[in-house]
Amino acid sequence: MLAAILAAGLAVGATYALIGVTYNLMFSASRVMSFTAGQLGMLGGVFGALFIHRLGMPIIPGFILALAACALVGVVTEIVAVRPVLGSLEQHLYVLSTLGLALMIQQFTAIEWSTEPQPFPVLLGFDGGGPLDEKFWLPLVACVVTIAGLEFLYRRTLVGRAFLAIAEDNFAARALGLPERNLRMGSYALAGVVGGLAGFASGELLLAFFANGAMLNFFGFVPVALGGLGNNRGAIIGGIALGVFQQAANFLVGGVFASVAVFAVFIIVLLVRPQGLFGAPATRRV
Amino acid sequence: MPISAPDTLLTISGMTAGYGKIGVLHGVDMTIGRGEIVALLGPNGAGKTTLLRAVSGLLPWTGQARFDGADLAGVSPRDAARRGLVHVVEGHRVFTQLSVTDNLLLAGYDLPRGERSSRVDEALAYFPEIAAKRADRAGALSGGQQQMLAVAQGLVRRPKLLMLDEPSAGLSPVLVDRVLSVADSLRKGGTAILLVEQLIEKALALADRVYAMAQGRIVLEASTTEADLPHRLEQAYFGKDAVPVLG
Amino acid sequence: MNRAILPYLGLFGAALLLPLFANDYWAVIGARAAVYWVLVGGLNLVVGFGGQLAIGYVALLTLGAYTSAVLCARYGLDPFLSFAAAGVVGAVAGVIVGLPALRLRTFYFAMTTLGFATIVTQIALAWQSVTGGGIGLPGPELPKPFDTPWGFYLFALALAALITWLSANVASSRFGRALVAIRDAEVAAEATGISKPRLLTTVFLFSGAAAGVAGGLFATLQSYITPDAFSFDLSVTFFIAILVGGRGSILGPLIGNIILTLLPEFAAPLVAWSTFLYAALLLAIVLLMPGGIAALLDFSNRKPLTANRAIVPRLDRLRGLLDHGTAQASIVLRNVVLSFGGVRAIDGLDLTVRPGQVHGLIGPNGSGKTTTLNVISGYYEPEQGEAFLGTTPLPHGAPQTRAALGIARTFQTPRLIGEASVLENVMIGATIEGTASFVETMLSLPRHRGDEKRMTAQAMDALAVVGLDGLAPVRADRLQHSELRFMEIARALMLKPAFLLLDEPAAGLSGDEIKRLGELIVAIARNGTGVLLVEHHADLIFDICDHVTVLNLGRELAAGTPGDIRAHKEVVSAYLGA
Repeated sequence: MLAAILAAGLAVGATYALIGVTYNLMFSASRVMSFTAGQLGMLGGVFGALFIHRLGMPIIPGFILALAACALVGVVTEIVAVRPVLGSLEQHLYVLSTLGLALMIQQFTAIEWSTEPQPFPVLLGFDGGGPLDEKFWLPLVACVVTIAGLEFLYRRTLVGRAFLAIAEDNFAARALGLPERNLRMGSYALAGVVGGLAGFASGELLLAFFANGAMLNFFGFVPVALGGLGNNRGAIIGGIALGVFQQAANFLVGGVFASVAVFAVFIIVLLVRPQGLFGAPATRRV
Repeated sequence: MPISAPDTLLTISGMTAGYGKIGVLHGVDMTIGRGEIVALLGPNGAGKTTLLRAVSGLLPWTGQARFDGADLAGVSPRDAARRGLVHVVEGHRVFTQLSVTDNLLLAGYDLPRGERSSRVDEALAYFPEIAAKRADRAGALSGGQQQMLAVAQGLVRRPKLLMLDEPSAGLSPVLVDRVLSVADSLRKGGTAILLVEQLIEKALALADRVYAMAQGRIVLEASTTEADLPHRLEQAYFGKDAVPVLG
Repeated sequence: MNRAILPYLGLFGAALLLPLFANDYWAVIGARAAVYWVLVGGLNLVVGFGGQLAIGYVALLTLGAYTSAVLCARYGLDPFLSFAAAGVVGAVAGVIVGLPALRLRTFYFAMTTLGFATIVTQIALAWQSVTGGGIGLPGPELPKPFDTPWGFYLFALALAALITWLSANVASSRFGRALVAIRDAEVAAEATGISKPRLLTTVFLFSGAAAGVAGGLFATLQSYITPDAFSFDLSVTFFIAILVGGRGSILGPLIGNIILTLLPEFAAPLVAWSTFLYAALLLAIVLLMPGGIAALLDFSNRKPLTANRAIVPRLDRLRGLLDHGTAQASIVLRNVVLSFGGVRAIDGLDLTVRPGQVHGLIGPNGSGKTTTLNVISGYYEPEQGEAFLGTTPLPHGAPQTRAALGIARTFQTPRLIGEASVLENVMIGATIEGTASFVETMLSLPRHRGDEKRMTAQAMDALAVVGLDGLAPVRADRLQHSELRFMEIARALMLKPAFLLLDEPAAGLSGDEIKRLGELIVAIARNGTGVLLVEHHADLIFDICDHVTVLNLGRELAAGTPGDIRAHKEVVSAYLGA
């Protein structure tokens, strides 16, 4: 039973962690938290099921196409819901514009895809049903691959360093002549890929279901809020811990209390440390 | 009215700019020649930083501006830097999470890949102090070294005009001289410099010409060799000897 | 009669006539719009006025509905009493949902309300012994004459009218203005003494109670409730109705609510797409028309303003406004030290600002002028040293305490409420002088009406003093920058301040305007108010100050009369940076 809790917890947690990274990628590039982060995860699963299961594409092209579609949704988020409101960031209009877009994505999926969870194709067929079933470790693999990929990007490539630069000081980056707008769109595309990967890798576990968007939105945000905005390490550790905690509580005391416990921890930590456990305190206002 | 003579690099006329509703520049005229060091002085809030930001495309503006024979209207900071108009913003804002080398490589983001590292070496040659720390995180540098790094970032582009906004702020006198001495050697290489500076004596010692701003306008333009310059500057800063309007 | 009431009377009249020419089906639809409005009308104060993005208010509807249904179905309580109980539960839950707003901002707060909504639905589903779980339970049945569709419709309509009246009373009071101030100019709200925790708690109680009652009505309307009935889509609909209607308006969201409730009835094929359309509407409103329906209806602010307006202060009106005489106490700073990230912004500063004097504070960039002002007005907490008003210590880091002590201020960048009128912006300055409680205000009792009358007259006086009385009804974001600076001074004068702190009031003003500003400042000081003036315009400082302190590197470099300072060698060289 412990193995089952751990397997499911790590898998769900890795998915939350990746959605957390999705939030962070968007935030770093634009100082904006977007409600579309969880929807990207949902779309990863839906696109995977659509391309491979329903349209019968081979796995690899289906996978790439699903990620590309999510990257496109990321870029659309930037153009439609983020860029127009960046000029007045202090009015927090992005909360409303990204909420609008996220709901549109969710409703469109519900109507055009299905309001019921749809099966996701079996990718490898490894150990059907046991704790070593691929549905449990694929999200973990996706998480490890994402961490490694981001490390490579940030440490080995100039464009990755440019991402870090606009995250740290957008104004100085612009003054230096960096193509800030293209980099921001690039970040959103990357966020789309990571979110899509989260949904695709957890597709066998969470299925292709429109309501996963709202669920991932919330549980992917919890580790980000607790770890501090923009802090990927916090998001990954927090996400995995959240997944394991939630699954353990699920087994031990039942789903409702698990949800209540997660929510209570979320609220209490935030009220005590609004900047998150690893975040820096707020800056000057006057 | 100076007509775009072959030795004129930057010509601005009637430039206005501001932040939202607040107008800061109210019609600024200025010219800078090739290889010339021009000091831009004036009290706080006069609009010096705003002028630099407008010229480099960081802020929208109206009026006319030409750089190196081409119109500057609607030019982004990226395009300006490509043309050789480089702005080193105030407050040594380097990227603290990145190494010194990475900071400089980013300054050469638009350069051909093969050229970048040689340009970085070229810029670092001006600052042996930070060349020795090229693998360190920029956040680990002292304030003075960060300022040198910021200037070096500007040099990676081999600018025709380098705009420096208060490069001395927060530095010790020795470091100020060090940073400003680089400006002197750049001039010898043909780079023009527009220097915003609070340390007036140092700025005057270095510059060929000086502009003073007050309340969003140029109130003084002079050669640094003029005799009564200190007195005229004082008037530009404090206004004519004030007569109290009320008892 | 106030013409602003006419649209409400029109809507109410039309709603009363509905039973005469529509069938029973429309009674249900109409009742639904009325029930939703009971919730939305209360939520409007939170979202539209207070700017708190509570997207999960369906949680309170759920709580109210289950409270009411459980009390009626399981304990046989009178349905009307069960509605009252639902209101109480809603009010308490409203505060619980709302309190995180005091610490958390926007996206975070939105997420907590969303989380709360999820939890409540899950509990409703899981707690089968009480809620009936997925099977659900019947809603309260009302006695005659409210047991027919039209009977219930009229009952719900009465409550909807009541919530409109109550929320409109709050909205047009000092509480409503303070809410908008928290939304758009939180820093200025603190400086005028508005207590955000107390205000938001009160409003969350109010809107929670309304949502709880709406829940009870909803249970009756549905006649049988299951957790499915309380979808997140419903929550979003409430929220979007407010934003489509326009922030800071009652009429706009009321129309928004009616449109969103009725839309699916007129476009039956689109029912499945309704949430999608609402979301698209939200996005479109945010990007294209942030003012919503209310901005469309705001005809008076479309008339062009006179060009080339001059600001002509009426200094003779100042005596009537500042009738407090000269205060006795001085503001005293003793050995104040404050650093930001290792840099000492203020490094052992002593400063005395005397009543009735104009005290200039000048110095090069980064010398600590504005920082000093922020210490006095309580935004910064110094590491060492103390600040006093006479012998009363000024608590550090508590800006909302300064207004009551008679210390008012303006800001480097004017902090204003763009969507409110100039008059309302100025009235914010007198928020703490109101005497009527929230309940008195809500019911528009005499004390509240007296408050409003007095504050309006005082604000008109203050506007006349600074020369802006002609612009009183104009939306503040239509003013020029220089006019906003004078408007901030008028707002500060509403406190009848013993001390007025001005942070670069001349920045962005023309020469003429600076001259008039100088005369105004001197006149204010001659009426007994001490003025601390942080300014870059050396001419202005030397013209009008009685006393000047020069700061350099966070310390006093020189102090004395303008004449002393003008002749001070070190000052000139510090300024010139030699």
